[in-house]
Amino acid sequence: MIAARPAEGAAGRARTGISLGRRVRHRTAVVLVWLSVAIVLLPLAHMFAMVTSHAVRALSPKLFTTSTAGVAGGLENAIVGTIQLVVLATVAAVTLGVLGGIWVREFASPRAAFPVRLAADVLAGVPSIVIGYFGYVTMVTWLGWGFSLLAGALALAVIMLPYVLRATDLAIGRVSEELRDASTALGATQAATLRRVILRSALSGIVTGALLAVGIALGETAPLLYTAGWSNYWGLLPSFTHNPVGYLTYVVWTFINQPFAEAHALAYAAAFLLMILVLLLNVVVRRVIVRHTEEAR
Amino acid sequence: MIREEDATGREHRDPGIVSLPEEPVDEPRANRAMFVLDGFDLYFGRAHILKGITLEIPSNQVTAIIGPSGCGKSSLLRSLNRMNDRVPGMRVEGKVLFEGDDVYGQSVDPVTLRRRVGMVFQRPTPFPMSIFDNVAYGPRLHGLAKRSELDRVVESSLRDAGLWDVVKDTLRKPATALSGGEQQRLCIARTLAVDPEVILLDEPTSALDPSATTRIEELLQRLAERYTIVIVTHNMQQAARVSEDTAFLLSGELVEFGPTDKIFRAPDDRRTEDYVTGRFG
Repeated sequence: MIAARPAEGAAGRARTGISLGRRVRHRTAVVLVWLSVAIVLLPLAHMFAMVTSHAVRALSPKLFTTSTAGVAGGLENAIVGTIQLVVLATVAAVTLGVLGGIWVREFASPRAAFPVRLAADVLAGVPSIVIGYFGYVTMVTWLGWGFSLLAGALALAVIMLPYVLRATDLAIGRVSEELRDASTALGATQAATLRRVILRSALSGIVTGALLAVGIALGETAPLLYTAGWSNYWGLLPSFTHNPVGYLTYVVWTFINQPFAEAHALAYAAAFLLMILVLLLNVVVRRVIVRHTEEAR
Repeated sequence: MIREEDATGREHRDPGIVSLPEEPVDEPRANRAMFVLDGFDLYFGRAHILKGITLEIPSNQVTAIIGPSGCGKSSLLRSLNRMNDRVPGMRVEGKVLFEGDDVYGQSVDPVTLRRRVGMVFQRPTPFPMSIFDNVAYGPRLHGLAKRSELDRVVESSLRDAGLWDVVKDTLRKPATALSGGEQQRLCIARTLAVDPEVILLDEPTSALDPSATTRIEELLQRLAERYTIVIVTHNMQQAARVSEDTAFLLSGELVEFGPTDKIFRAPDDRRTEDYVTGRFG
C-alpha cells in the first residue's frame, strides 16, 4: 500500500501529512485497478457458467464413448481428432519454433535475424482462414492429400509457429548475461552453456509460449474447415492423408446452427471440453515445469 | 585439498605445469609470476579501454585492482581469462602471459584457459538448479560423471568455500533459495570445483551486506594459500584488508602497482594519493 499508515496516537496530525489530493488519487487508482480485474474476469466467469449450464444435458460417459451420428450421438471422434491434430501440429511447430528461436537469438547476425522476426510477427497476424485456404490450395489439392490429418495439422502448425519462435527468442533474450558469463567462466562452450543454463532458464518462457500456441490451435476452426474436413469416424492409427478428421471446434461451429436441442447441447459440450482441456494443460504443464526447474535431476 | 586429490578432469592440463615442484607455503614472497602483462592494449571498437598495461601478478596471494568507475579495472580482469572475447569489435595489442603461455596466442584454447582461471562476478549468479548441481556443473562439463567422485568434489568445494555446514542437508534445494552472501560463496565453491589455478573476482562483495562481506574476505585470505587471487574492488578498505599487492588504474592506464601497504601509505604517484585519500573517485 502506498498510503503511509499514520503512527498510533498522532493519527489525526499524521493524516494531514498526506494531502487530500494524493489520497483521492490513490483511492481512484485502487478502484480502477480492481475494476479492470472485474472487467476481465466477469465475462470469463459468465461465459464459463453459460457454456457449462448448456453443456450439462450432454455430459455423460456416452459423450466419450460414441461418435457423432448426424447431429446427435457423442463426441468421441471429435475428441480423438482434436488431440491427434493438435499433438501433431505441436510436435511440428515446437520443433521448428524452438530451433528457429534459438537460431534467431543465439546464432543469427542482426541482419539475418531482422527479417525472420519480422516474418514471424507478420505470420502471427495473418487471419487463420487465409492460412486455411493456403493449406487447401497447396496440400489438399495441389499435393493431392485431400482433407486429412496431415493437412489440418500442418495448417495449425503454421499458425502456432510464430508464437513458439518469438516466445523462444524472447525467453532466451531475458536470460541474464551474468548467467551466461558465469557458465562461460567455468569453461563451458557456447553449446554447453546454451543447453545446460540458457535453455533451462528460458524453459518456462518457452513453455508459456508453446502453451499459448496450443491453446490457439485447440480453438481454431477456420483453417481446419479447409484442410481437415469432417468425419464421423476415427482411427487410433489414422492414415495421415486422404481421410478427413473430426474435431471439436467443428461441432461448435456447425451444430449450433441446427434446430435441435440435442445438437445445441453437443456444441456446448464441445466448447466445454475445449475450455477444460486448455485449463488442464496449463495447470499440469506448469506444475511439471516448476518441478523441473527447481529440483535436481 | 582438491588440488592433490582430484586426478579426474585434469587431463587437459599441460603436463609440464603439473610436474613443477610445489612452492613452499611458508615462504610467501617466493611467489612466481602467474600473469605477466607486457604493453597490453585493449580496444572495444574505437574505444581504447586499456593502455599499455605492464605488470606481473604473483601466484598464491591476493592482488587487488582499484580505480574509479570506468577506469577499465573490470575489463583488465576479464582480459585475463578472455571473457571479453564476445564483446563486438574487441581487439588486443601487446601480451598477456599466463604461466608463460600467450593468452591471446594461437595455442591457447579459451575454454581450457577459463577452466584454469576461474571467475566470480559482482552479483551472485546461481544457476537455476539445485545447490549440488550448481557445484557439480563445472566438473560435469569437464567429463566427471561418477556419482561418488562428484559427491566428493562437491563436498570439498563447499567445505573450502565455508558453506558445507550451511547446505549439507539441503543440497537438493534450489540454489536461488540461499541468501545473497551464501549464493556468492556457492559461486566461489562452483569455481573451486573445477580446480582452477587462479580465481578472478569482480567486485564480489558489492551486492552483499557487511557481515557477508567479511566472510568472503576471510575466505579469500584462506584461499590465497592455494590459489592465485585477483580481485577488482570499489572499496579501498577492502583492498587494504585483503590484498598484498595493489594496482591502481585510471582512465585505462596503470598509474601505480606495488605492495598494498605502500600504495595506501606512501604512493609514488600524486594521482594514487588523491584517489586513496578520497579526493576523487
